[in-house]
Amino acid sequence: MKKMLVVLLVVVAAGAGVAYYLWNKPHVNLTNAKSDIAVDAATLLEEYQRDEAASNEKYFDKVIAVKGNVTEVMNDEGTVKVSLETGDANGFVVRCELSATAPHTRTEFAVGETVQFKGTCSGLNFDVQLDNCVEVR
Amino acid sequence: MKKIVLLFVVLAATTTLSAQNYFTRDGKVKLDATSSTSPEKIEALTKTASCVLDASTGKIQWAVLLKSFKFEQALMEEHFNENYVESNKFPKATFAGQITNLNEVNLAKDGTYNAVVSGKMTLHGVTKDITANGALNVSGGKIRVNAGFSLILPDYGITIPSLVSDKVTRDARILIDATLEPMK
Repeated sequence: MKKMLVVLLVVVAAGAGVAYYLWNKPHVNLTNAKSDIAVDAATLLEEYQRDEAASNEKYFDKVIAVKGNVTEVMNDEGTVKVSLETGDANGFVVRCELSATAPHTRTEFAVGETVQFKGTCSGLNFDVQLDNCVEVR
Repeated sequence: MKKIVLLFVVLAATTTLSAQNYFTRDGKVKLDATSSTSPEKIEALTKTASCVLDASTGKIQWAVLLKSFKFEQALMEEHFNENYVESNKFPKATFAGQITNLNEVNLAKDGTYNAVVSGKMTLHGVTKDITANGALNVSGGKIRVNAGFSLILPDYGITIPSLVSDKVTRDARILIDATLEPMK
């Protein structure tokens, strides 16, 4: 009887532990993540514009390292969005939204400088959107 | 005769070009699916919704990438993407519609106007007609759009498991705040 109680307690404690862990599960942090694919901004947008479905197959929710020249940096009420040049005729870009929770060595970038970000690809919405971005240095 | 035809073609082309489009890719869309009995907030925000408005016809289009919605809880974000909207299958939610009371709205003149928008909302692979009320604030050549409406999630094939039905409402509230600028 005592044994059963102990087992029951352990099970309950473990369950509570798992629940607690899941509830407080941290947000995606790509600082130490290995990227699945490396690509330059121009190629990424061009592929998406050519075939959105196929590109989602290839890139969606994957960790992508994307390189390009900064065309615009925007701080939108605390959310930093960096646009990477693609050469697109309509001015569409690869937009990298910096992670709100991962640590950053910097959140300011100069227009024209070449940078590389790691981020998860969320798809095409005029621009190609990457979320959870951290800079690759 | 040929000249006249050419003139008309040129005229038609210039008219199309001068039709003013307004655009943003920084629209804010808030999703609130908190049920009245829920102890915690079930809400998410994206700051990268796109919107194109044709000022001459009142045609308006929105698109939002579901993966761009941020929740406070990572687990909620995961469940939202994997179990509810299935963003890997349906990455985008879109709306294409029309300002139906364009005669009461003067986008060329500063001011605040009530707008009614009707059109087709596509979410989770399902398209439905919706109508929403909003406010358009025209100031200095920019148009700020504020609107709110409800989405009945099961209408879009999104089922709320009974286990969480006391937390997640079927009747999600969507709030939009976006500032459109003339498209170059």
